[in-house]
Amino acid sequence: MPKAWVVVYSITDFITIGMLLTVVAMNSLKRMESCLRAYTINSILLAALMAVSAFYLDAAHLYIAAAVTLASKGVVIPLLLRKVVRDLKITHEVEPNINTPLSLVITSVLVVIVYSSLSKGIFIEGFTENTLKVSISIILISLFTMITRKKAVTQVIGLLLMENGLFLAGFSLTYGMSTIIELGVVFDVLMGAIILGVFLSQIKKTFIDLDLDKLTTLKG
Amino acid sequence: METDRPETASSRITGKLSSACYLLYAAGCLFTGILSLRDLLLGYSWYISLPLSGVLTLSFRGGGLSAYFVIILSLLGFCVSVYSAGYARHSRSPWPALLLYGIFVSSMCAVFYSANIPAFLISWETMSLSSYFLVVSDAKNIEASRAGLLYGVMTHIGTAFIIAAFMVMFFATGSLEFSAIRAGLGSAGELRSVIFVLALIGFGTKAGVIPLHTWLPKAHPAAPSNVSALMSGIMIKSGIYGIILVSFDILGAGAGQPAAPLWWGVAALSAGAVSSVMGIMHALMERDIKRLLAYSSVENVGIILLGIGASMIFSFNNLPVFAGLALAAALYHVFNHAIFKGLLFMGAGSAVHATGTKNMEEMGGLVKRMPWTGLFFLIGSVAICALPPFNGFMSEWLTFQSLIVGIKTAAVLTKTFMLLSGAALALTGALAASSFVKAFGISFLGVSRSGKAAGAKESPFSMLAGMGVLSVFCLLAGIFPGYMLRLISDISLPALGGLLQFAPNGFVVSGVSSSGVLPMAVLGTMLAGAAFVFIFPLVAGGRKKSICADPWDCGIRRLTPRMQYTATAFTHPLRRIFKKIYKPRKEVRIEYIVKPFFTREIEYRSEITPLAETYFYRPLTRALHDIAHFARRLQSGNLQLYLGYILGTLVVLLVVWG
Repeated sequence: MPKAWVVVYSITDFITIGMLLTVVAMNSLKRMESCLRAYTINSILLAALMAVSAFYLDAAHLYIAAAVTLASKGVVIPLLLRKVVRDLKITHEVEPNINTPLSLVITSVLVVIVYSSLSKGIFIEGFTENTLKVSISIILISLFTMITRKKAVTQVIGLLLMENGLFLAGFSLTYGMSTIIELGVVFDVLMGAIILGVFLSQIKKTFIDLDLDKLTTLKG
Repeated sequence: METDRPETASSRITGKLSSACYLLYAAGCLFTGILSLRDLLLGYSWYISLPLSGVLTLSFRGGGLSAYFVIILSLLGFCVSVYSAGYARHSRSPWPALLLYGIFVSSMCAVFYSANIPAFLISWETMSLSSYFLVVSDAKNIEASRAGLLYGVMTHIGTAFIIAAFMVMFFATGSLEFSAIRAGLGSAGELRSVIFVLALIGFGTKAGVIPLHTWLPKAHPAAPSNVSALMSGIMIKSGIYGIILVSFDILGAGAGQPAAPLWWGVAALSAGAVSSVMGIMHALMERDIKRLLAYSSVENVGIILLGIGASMIFSFNNLPVFAGLALAAALYHVFNHAIFKGLLFMGAGSAVHATGTKNMEEMGGLVKRMPWTGLFFLIGSVAICALPPFNGFMSEWLTFQSLIVGIKTAAVLTKTFMLLSGAALALTGALAASSFVKAFGISFLGVSRSGKAAGAKESPFSMLAGMGVLSVFCLLAGIFPGYMLRLISDISLPALGGLLQFAPNGFVVSGVSSSGVLPMAVLGTMLAGAAFVFIFPLVAGGRKKSICADPWDCGIRRLTPRMQYTATAFTHPLRRIFKKIYKPRKEVRIEYIVKPFFTREIEYRSEITPLAETYFYRPLTRALHDIAHFARRLQSGNLQLYLGYILGTLVVLLVVWG
């Protein structure tokens, strides 16, 4: 059914570009709550992409994966982080290392680099042919976000976004791994988020601040 | 130094037990030595393979070269163990040293017997580590622990090179067995040179070849004297064994194999010449008796390398007889140096034990208080100075012979190298003689230079027995060189088999040229000369009343120790002659009460510049420091910067290989 494939192509692109945009948006957001929301949207879009693929590929196990992703990354982790943010009373990011306009320019340059260099080497057939490029862009941009931001909470969000990007990359290459692996990965991320939450509290307690520049004093 | 403490019943039992253990070691050494001697004399060879797991097999082979080195080890090990029985009697806690000593000796034995790479490396590493722990066994001595650290670092740098050489062998042939590697490496081409260079550096570090010798003059004096005797006597020979094993046995620099490049021999010869001359020049300037002996070991390793290098050059020039002669000279010197250096270290150990100082300027007059130790030290000194009828003369003379016949090689370059090395050896001989005149004269002759030396007592019997046996062997190996050379010529090296014919009373090289020496005639001449010295005054002077007085007192009648010639003064002319090399620094500091008439204190200090440290190691460490300092900037401690490194790397990888 050719028509259905055209639809799945455009739906996949639509969702993945949405994920990319949330990550790009992270670079201009200052409020912690907004950053968290960007992450939530990103995760929900990831879950949606998996659900759509499950529908078109007739793969029942992907429904489970989508549901688990939605529950953990779309609901539990954002709630957890929101609780941390409110407990620690951080509302805003301080001025980033690189200012917002320049960050956006660098972000777009990263996307261009990924698109131009990946088109030389790796080709993927099927409806996920753009997904790999998008996912690698997401990974690099979230890494870049971690570089520019100073607060530990934003770093954690950056890390989680990067994980989403990795998940997407894996998905684009394999069309979903077996359920047990997906569950394992999700569980890892959940545990990671909990541990990082505890870390954030500890850093705050030790340094009275969540500004990671203070960590430099640990160096001998 | 260990201090004697009041003997309690338990300490006496401890002392007796540890002495008994050392005697047990001595018995073990004797047993091993006899077995190896049987292997060598009957041309018998054995092979043991111990599969430890699917991939790891240890195999050992006896006979030939291994047996020869094990015989040397056993002879020296026997004597040093007997010596240790007395030496360690007053040690507070003898057990760790006792255990390490046993491990050390048996691991050296295992090194010589190893027939594949894992066995060799495991025993090599055991040997290095156990000797390291023996060097630092005196926990309170900070100097010893520093020396030990340097030793540990240097020996592991050497081991790294050895492992690299073995890895190249393994990748070239796919086998871990030396015999299979030997067969497989014939067609390896340029790789053989890589292996040779790696092995020369790696084993050269253990052997103490200049400029890789820096650990040696520090670690050997820091170790207890029985261990120094073993380290200097036989452990550094394991480096020589490795060089012979790799370059002659495995790579076949000898005859009957694909020809080794000429520069191998030239490299070994140059390293030998530099080590021998520089080693003895540093020895000459030492005041510390054990450091003097350690530097002299560097010199002797140089002499051995001269023989090895000459042998390689001869086999390149297709002169197998001379190649065999030169290698025989080197192997002979290995044996000789092991026994007389062991003897000297034990003698120095006794002197240090009795006086509590290692500084020769504080000894003096020991020959009157420790006559036997003095005699044995004298025998060792005469042997190491290469004076007949002792063994050092025979091997150095043979090395000379082989370098001089180098004139028969075709190329002008090799001729020049051989003759220059011969000249270096001659210079070495002269300087060695003056170093040991100094070592013996300053510490054993004259008047006691300090209260400690005046109160010295003769060593116990077992220590004297250990030295005595080695002294006898020094003499025997000197007057029966033919038997020794027959033993050496039986070693199944391709260069040696059957080409040389040695007569038991002298030695004769059959074939192209022949040369010989009649040691019995030499001995007879010397005995006659000695008799003449005694008889002549009696005959010429007739019966006259004899007056007893201190020698050279010039009528002063009361000589004080400070009137004596000192070690520094003795070597002063040489320090002047070789000013360009020693670069001596002098510092005189005078404190005045009223300037310039009344002085309170004059401090005089003179030292020489250690060449290798100043021109090789110091720039090297400085460069490393600079690089490390620069690299430190990468580590700012800033998390974002680290993430930036990751991002940069990823982007670069993406652009380049995407």
